[in-house]
Amino acid sequence: MTMFTRSDKEPVPKPVATSPSPAPVPAQAPVEARRAPAPAMPGQASSVSVISKALKITGQLESTEDIQIEGEVEGDVRAASVKVGTNARIKGTVYGDEVELSGKVDGKIEARKVVLTSTAHMSGDVIHQDLRIDSGAHVDGHCRPEFGKPDGRAHAIQKPATGATATPLKPN
Amino acid sequence: MSALPNRALIRTQPRRSDAGLSTSHLGRGLTVTGNLETEGELRVHGKVLGQIRANRLVIEKGGAVEGDMVARDAHIGGRLNGRVFAVNVTIDASADVRGRIFHTTVSVASGARIDGRMPWRPVNYFETLETLPETQP
Repeated sequence: MTMFTRSDKEPVPKPVATSPSPAPVPAQAPVEARRAPAPAMPGQASSVSVISKALKITGQLESTEDIQIEGEVEGDVRAASVKVGTNARIKGTVYGDEVELSGKVDGKIEARKVVLTSTAHMSGDVIHQDLRIDSGAHVDGHCRPEFGKPDGRAHAIQKPATGATATPLKPN
Repeated sequence: MSALPNRALIRTQPRRSDAGLSTSHLGRGLTVTGNLETEGELRVHGKVLGQIRANRLVIEKGGAVEGDMVARDAHIGGRLNGRVFAVNVTIDASADVRGRIFHTTVSVASGARIDGRMPWRPVNYFETLETLPETQP
């Protein structure tokens, strides 16, 4: 009875509606606050992928867009731009146009532009065109400015191949 | 409740620390080939070929998953070819699901396309689920 009478009265007199409202508002507020970041982020992040610190991936990631990694990846990562966060760990090769490493990579980086920040821990080769290493970064491996350059070996294989098909034709 | 087996794939009771756990997004252009595992939330806009395990899993409209998914809460708005193991399952109108949906509670929006059985399981089935069963023909 009391509930029915209260709900009937609520929409009509305004002072009555405002007095019970402060009680439910604090109860609902944390729920909204917790849910708020979730719908807000996909709008931004529908093109940018975020691998959060709680996520572990075993396998390959391939994207035409940007990836931000804060978690753990065991496998290769391929994207336009890859940002590896401070606590992130990758075991495998990171391919990209731009790679910024603040976390740990155990494997290889192959990118046009590579940035190793002060917290970076890189074990393996870095193949780059443009490299920046901040003071404090740990690098164990070769840094080679060979990104985008045709592999000498592949070149050598291609040339004789065309020649080989041409020469047998003549004697025949 | 705290004495749940450690190897259980799903934690049916959310821990306090789970509330602040981060959300992962797999963007539209991303394809993941392999397994994903998170104690937090995972939103899939892209494509996943492999098994997914998450506390809360959302396949957004446009997203596609090929493989089994295990979650406490599963929200499907995209394409799925595989099995679902989740306590609470919500299927949107835009969903296209092919495979079995193991659930305790399920809601399906009008317009969704579902091809497969939807076996009901009690909550403790998910609590004690350690390895996914083989699919019977």
